[in-house]
Amino acid sequence: MQSHVSLLRWRFTSIGAAFALMGVVIFVQLVRIQISPQAETFRKQSDLYAGVWKTISPARGQIYDRWGNLLAGNRTVYQIGVEMQAVEDPASIAFAMQVVLGEDYDKMFALASPEANPDLIYTVLADYVPAEKVLELQQFAEEMEGTFGENQPIRNLDGLMTTPHLQRSYPENDLASNVLGFVSREGRGYFGVEEKYNELLSGISKTVWMPTDPNQIEALPDIPPGASLILTIDREIQEMIENVLDEEVSFWGAESGTILVMDPKTGEILAMVVTGRINLNEYWKFGEQIGGKTPFNKAIGQDYEPGSVFKVLTMASALDAGAVKPETEFLDTGLIEVGGAQIRNWNWGAWGPQNMTGCLQHSLNVCLAWVGTELGSKQFYEYMRAFGFGHSTGIDLAGEVVGRLRLPGDSNWYAADLATNSFGQGLSVTPAQMLMAVSALANDGQMVVPHVLLGIVNNDHQYNPPPQIAGYPISGESAQAITQMLANSLESEASIALVDGYRLAGKTGTAEIPTPYGYTSNQTNASFVGWGPVDDPRFLVYIWLEKPTGSIWGSEVAAPIFSELVRRLVVLLNIPPDGVQLGLNP
Amino acid sequence: MKTIPQQLIHAYKYAPWRAQLQLIGVFSLIVVLVALIAGVYLNVTARTATIGREIQVMEEDILELQRDNADLENQLGLLTSIRTMERRAEELGFQSINPDEVLYVSVSGYAGRQAASLAPPPGPVTVPDSSLPPEYTQTLFDWLKGTTLQTIHDPSLDWITGWVVRPVEAKESGSHDGSP
Repeated sequence: MQSHVSLLRWRFTSIGAAFALMGVVIFVQLVRIQISPQAETFRKQSDLYAGVWKTISPARGQIYDRWGNLLAGNRTVYQIGVEMQAVEDPASIAFAMQVVLGEDYDKMFALASPEANPDLIYTVLADYVPAEKVLELQQFAEEMEGTFGENQPIRNLDGLMTTPHLQRSYPENDLASNVLGFVSREGRGYFGVEEKYNELLSGISKTVWMPTDPNQIEALPDIPPGASLILTIDREIQEMIENVLDEEVSFWGAESGTILVMDPKTGEILAMVVTGRINLNEYWKFGEQIGGKTPFNKAIGQDYEPGSVFKVLTMASALDAGAVKPETEFLDTGLIEVGGAQIRNWNWGAWGPQNMTGCLQHSLNVCLAWVGTELGSKQFYEYMRAFGFGHSTGIDLAGEVVGRLRLPGDSNWYAADLATNSFGQGLSVTPAQMLMAVSALANDGQMVVPHVLLGIVNNDHQYNPPPQIAGYPISGESAQAITQMLANSLESEASIALVDGYRLAGKTGTAEIPTPYGYTSNQTNASFVGWGPVDDPRFLVYIWLEKPTGSIWGSEVAAPIFSELVRRLVVLLNIPPDGVQLGLNP
Repeated sequence: MKTIPQQLIHAYKYAPWRAQLQLIGVFSLIVVLVALIAGVYLNVTARTATIGREIQVMEEDILELQRDNADLENQLGLLTSIRTMERRAEELGFQSINPDEVLYVSVSGYAGRQAASLAPPPGPVTVPDSSLPPEYTQTLFDWLKGTTLQTIHDPSLDWITGWVVRPVEAKESGSHDGSP
């Protein structure tokens, strides 16, 4: 009995010792692995599968026109890649990518082959693939498996993965493309609103660690979407003007065309149209469609010598300074010499006695050069600076240039520049600068900053920034006076710029284009600036056709375009004829 | 014949089988406790993992819904693009109007077509009420005193401490508007 108990105790002790030894061995092994030279390798391997750093980019804000029509939104596209561990048949994957997406077979095979990429876990085969193509790919995979069956050699697309994400989309294609700009595949905005408000639209991306261990999962941080923008652009007016401009540029054989329409009271740009627009959904064809040297938006990105449309500003300044009055008489002899330079009229003729309205009506260079000298260089350039020339307008679009305005005291300024600048020669401006300056004339002396942003929708609220006043370069009386003079001059000559039922003010411009040897070419820039109705201006239009070949004169090229635009604008803007307006608001 | 003390010792001395049983009992208790703790840990871990996985799935769902929304808005934009709308209008027999065909009617109070309003304007800026309920701020003594005094509704008892005690709500509202 005693020996039996001893035997039992010995056995139990042995088993206990064996288990204890196993425990010690396991513990020693655990410690040994931790401090072994391979420990770092094991840690790296575990880190690979512990989770991923993921950058979460909020959806880019949308862009709407002033009536809430979508101009820029987002759509789902797919990244196609392969998970290397799951790939069984890289040849079939490469074949499918070639058939459905037109990719190069050899390249796809090399990318999808686990043997060729032993260290890779995942690799991208294609990105920005539209949903339709992904559907085709799925159908292709099903057909492939159905065709070969389970007992046949492996023919499947196992390992092929599709990852959805958002891409910028422009439902209106090329409409207002020069205003909108575009977004690259990296998510950065280029040109126009997309560049100017890139940070606002794109929101703030965050990079977060996403562990594969479900125990460590935390809720994703709250990443609000980018702000949406409402533009001042009216897509109906924009489209109408795009159609008109395309036709007119083609008809007159012009190199390019630019038209701006603005509310002179608020500075809201209703339409900004240039020729050479691109389909924003295929922005990478930018070079083919526009050409590398042409600015994306000539309305703000290209300066030129405006010519006679500039005379309205010279005359407004002189009226405001009291240098002349509308009835001031000037004897036009066809020639005036200022600073050693001889100035002649556009037709090299002498127009005899003229009042200031006549000088504008006949667009007399000699008269305006004289007005400039009456004003004096100091005052003239002070007014030009006040009108905003020589610096940017502050328009909320990327890519604005400031033009060129030489001032007394500059090394390259000469006394003759006062005379030539007075009728729009020897200086350069952008159409947007001209628009802003002339807004003072159409808005009782108050100059407004042109802008395209009407509202920002962010955090479930809409913020409408108020219009900005750029200054008061002239008085309200002077603005009224120049407006009446221009309206009278259009009516006196029965200009083709007029529209029945509406009293309009405006001025044509024909500017010679300088070459390195002076004004030696026969090419011109034809322009027109006009606004109306005179009693209560609702629109301000600026037109510029570059190098028209059908006619070189602004009065023949640009004036009828103004008339045509106004005929359609008054309908779209619900502006009744002056007579009806008086009846409606006695 | 055992003496009485010997009988007592014998009676109260652990038998060997009782000591063994006690050892087994303690060991079993430890095993049960460990199993219990392990079970609870496993249960909690499993539930956490399940919830974590559900969070992952829901986050994916949120992203998918956001993408769906974006796609639908984009499709709406395509269907209502100006060229599509013009084509549809022409197919329905509409045509562009000329200025001389327009009839203007005066409608009193009509301000004309208003620009898009996609969200309400921001309201007046209000300072968020960051004060916590009194349950989070008052001491036990404050609570006891306040409750007692409110119950007996006898302000004359204030002489006991010499403090003027006001109802909690009145005190809180007084501090909100910054009144002294």
